[in-house]
Amino acid sequence: MTLRRHGLLAVAALLTGLPLTAPAIITLNDNIEVEGFVQSQNILRTPQMDDAEFIMQRNTAQIESKYYFLKDSTAFGRFNTGKLEEATFTFVGRAVYDSIYDIRESYRDDYIGRENGPRQHEGKVREAYLDLVLPPFSLRLGKQQIVWGETDNFRALDVINPLDLSWHWVWESWEDIRIPLWAARGVYDIGKIGKLEESFLEVVYIPWDVRQNVVETDPNKPWSLYGPGAQALPNSALVGNDLLDLNLKVIDGRPGRKLENGQAGFRFKAVWGNVDFSFNYFYSFSADPRAQFRNEFTRVTPTALNAVVETKYPRNHLVGFTANYSEEKYTQTVFRLETTFTTGVPITIAPGAPLSVDPNQDQFETARRSVVMLAADRPTWMKWLNKDRTIFLSSQIFWRRWLDYDESFRGLSSALPATLNGVVQPGRFFSVNNDEIDQDEVVMTFSASTTYGDAGLLQPRFVFAFDPRSTGAYNQIYVDYLLSTHVVLRFQQNLFWRFGGKEIGPWQLGDLWGHSNGQSRHESVFQFIYQF
Amino acid sequence: MSIATPCVSPRSSLRRWLAPLCALLFAAAAEADGDAGYQALRDWLAAGDPPTEGLTAGQHFGAKDRAQLEAYIPRTAWTYYFFDDMDMEVAAPGDYPPPPTWGKAVKAGYTLDDRGVLKGFTGGGYPFPEVTPDDPQAAYKVIWNMLWRPGQNDYDMPMVTWLRGEGGKLDRKLEYMAVNSTYAKGDECLVPGYEEVKSKRIMEFRSPRDMAGAKDMLVSFVDHDREDSGWLYMPAQRKPRRTLASERTSELMGMDMIREDMDGFGGKVHENNWTYLGTRNVVATINVADNPEFGGPHLWVPNKARWEVRKAHVLLIEPKAKDHPYSHRVVFIDAENFWTLWMFAFDKADDQLLRMQQHFLKYTESYDDEPPQQAPYISQDWNKSVGHHVLMHLGETDINAKKPHATMSHCYTNKRVFSSARARQYYSLRNMISGRR
Repeated sequence: MTLRRHGLLAVAALLTGLPLTAPAIITLNDNIEVEGFVQSQNILRTPQMDDAEFIMQRNTAQIESKYYFLKDSTAFGRFNTGKLEEATFTFVGRAVYDSIYDIRESYRDDYIGRENGPRQHEGKVREAYLDLVLPPFSLRLGKQQIVWGETDNFRALDVINPLDLSWHWVWESWEDIRIPLWAARGVYDIGKIGKLEESFLEVVYIPWDVRQNVVETDPNKPWSLYGPGAQALPNSALVGNDLLDLNLKVIDGRPGRKLENGQAGFRFKAVWGNVDFSFNYFYSFSADPRAQFRNEFTRVTPTALNAVVETKYPRNHLVGFTANYSEEKYTQTVFRLETTFTTGVPITIAPGAPLSVDPNQDQFETARRSVVMLAADRPTWMKWLNKDRTIFLSSQIFWRRWLDYDESFRGLSSALPATLNGVVQPGRFFSVNNDEIDQDEVVMTFSASTTYGDAGLLQPRFVFAFDPRSTGAYNQIYVDYLLSTHVVLRFQQNLFWRFGGKEIGPWQLGDLWGHSNGQSRHESVFQFIYQF
Repeated sequence: MSIATPCVSPRSSLRRWLAPLCALLFAAAAEADGDAGYQALRDWLAAGDPPTEGLTAGQHFGAKDRAQLEAYIPRTAWTYYFFDDMDMEVAAPGDYPPPPTWGKAVKAGYTLDDRGVLKGFTGGGYPFPEVTPDDPQAAYKVIWNMLWRPGQNDYDMPMVTWLRGEGGKLDRKLEYMAVNSTYAKGDECLVPGYEEVKSKRIMEFRSPRDMAGAKDMLVSFVDHDREDSGWLYMPAQRKPRRTLASERTSELMGMDMIREDMDGFGGKVHENNWTYLGTRNVVATINVADNPEFGGPHLWVPNKARWEVRKAHVLLIEPKAKDHPYSHRVVFIDAENFWTLWMFAFDKADDQLLRMQQHFLKYTESYDDEPPQQAPYISQDWNKSVGHHVLMHLGETDINAKKPHATMSHCYTNKRVFSSARARQYYSLRNMISGRR
């Protein structure tokens, strides 16, 4: 029996052998709490809704624990800590195994003989931090997630932690795909200043942990990111009339673990009347590096073009403002606002762009960018749909604008079949980038959620996102059924579509990869979750 | 004082003739809608107030004693509270006075406006220590006393809630903790500078895991016309979200209650019409020995608990909004300490019972010699409660008669006194930007 089969059996045994009457949360000696979940996520890709392809069988075990070791200024039940009133230690660990590369022969075969296998395992400490309460100051030290802003599921102020999009793009809870960073987060509670209430100042310092958003570029992976071309890696270049091999060397320019590479920011938040607002500033490295051609290292041999690119992580200044207002009398709606201004956003420039845009002709520049997001949340009675509970409606419009815009700004590159003198060359692909970025990028979202059943155990949600410029759209139908205290069954249908055209759009919302030619990423997600 | 009825008055001979006819008509109507109709409850009220001593103190009452108990248990609840193995211990009526300082810090100068809204009151005592039945504003005064009663805040309250269907089928069990403090204390405020705040509360869920770490902060204001301010932190989002306070009629977290049902009435006074229906002796779990176990065929109601006969103000509340789910709400509020004992809300569609509520209370001075049970997940020092001279909320049952389904809660409430500095830190938006995860 192979190791892979052992793994599968272990997962099956784990899922079927879980106790159904265990405590909802495990408490050890009054001071330690342990909870977590085991989850099996199974995804069927249904490109044209009349067939299905099994693309993910991902099993996750997560342990979350909290140790209350200092209460009422007494540590470990015996040591007086003076003004240090409370302290806890939190730990979140996760192990993942995606068995699809064992179950599906075709997936497995893609990696035979390759140096790097599929990333089917993961085991890591997700979060580990110490919370210290020393009123009016509180401090969180360690590996953590820090979330700012009012926007749901799009990034303007919520950029402190990068995202791991390699498993399943953005279609997972962001709590699970944010990449926690080693950081210090201090909050000084100011309280009331004049007409401002509930005010506080928060300072975030990330001493050396610079990460980037992770995307999967291996086209063999089900959720790899590639442009609207072939599902392949570029391997050829046309130099003059010669078709040469393309050897691309990538230098990772990620800033090293030095104190000078620290990232830091602050937020001042307060309530003024019924308006809750914040001013934010964050000085960081971009988490979306772009490739800069190192032309000085480019060499052409009779058979190959040897090119070197370096991933660049420019420094960003991000300034932001958020506000929300609960209008209780006329609209019974919570309005939300978020706006940001960011400098140093890296951008790919089309080859051959004018010197005024790309003075170094290295296909890399930085630009300034702004975001304005407006949203409204409203619990709404629709008694024809639900007679006992309101339906929570939430909508937002997210507008991003490139302030130093030029038509040579480019987005996703694609691999296209290489041609020579009009003849397609089998097995050879060029890299092209025809994805022109628009100066104004807009996305609108709408969601509706409620609960059904006597105890609200059936929890459906509907999501719609639409990019009016590319006409790409996304629909999600999602249902949680809380079968018991421990068992949650989840079904999710993701639909990607567009009204017309083939423009990718900045959000990759629509039917980007397939445009109804059988490669669509419509999918049905089935999850079994055992929580404790 | 007896219950006022629309038809019976001894002064009019015509009415004397009409009285039996009215009674017959009511009886017919009540027969038609059974025990669960609004009219049946009004008939039960009209039938007259039983004596306080009508149930022998120290005796255990069971199903065989139903005839004796019917006068003390609101008729709407009979379906649920009479069952074969019921065991209701009735104790002698106790005396549960407020703290000795209660009322001494009240600042004068407050008024009831023409909508019945209390203006200028800042706590420290009952706004209306004396309520006379013939006062046309009696209903308002009783509800304001309830909304400013002693003991409603200033506690740590770990809770366990069971959501059960018919036959006792357990659909969900929740564990959570509420911490609450009174800011408005009459001539002083817990945190100087926050004089506009009535109270603040933070509640955090502990289990099951799909709810664990969710917490909300609610700020209530002295000015009744100002809506509460609320924030909800969800671990999946890792940030607080502003919540809307003015929607009060949707069920909460799958439980069988709406926000407006909190403590019998948790809404806005001016959004309702109010009628004072007099006083009535009812049985109540006013000073239970312990968090009561649940019994009955569905495990929805307290059993083997200690009850007392209590004199209660009876208020009729009729929502003004046409789309409100309730036609009538009848609340029984203890006449000595103004805690809600029973609440019945009737469906606007048919005037039948939609939701009902009954509360379990315990006096702090009994914590000393008869401590309640500890929460299953935290141990508390009950000595912190002794000496406060207030009733503590030990739980409630909320039944949705139409589903049918019920939510039963045990509250393991212990008094907690916050210093001004600690309250300022604890009940702050700063505390809402992160959670247990």
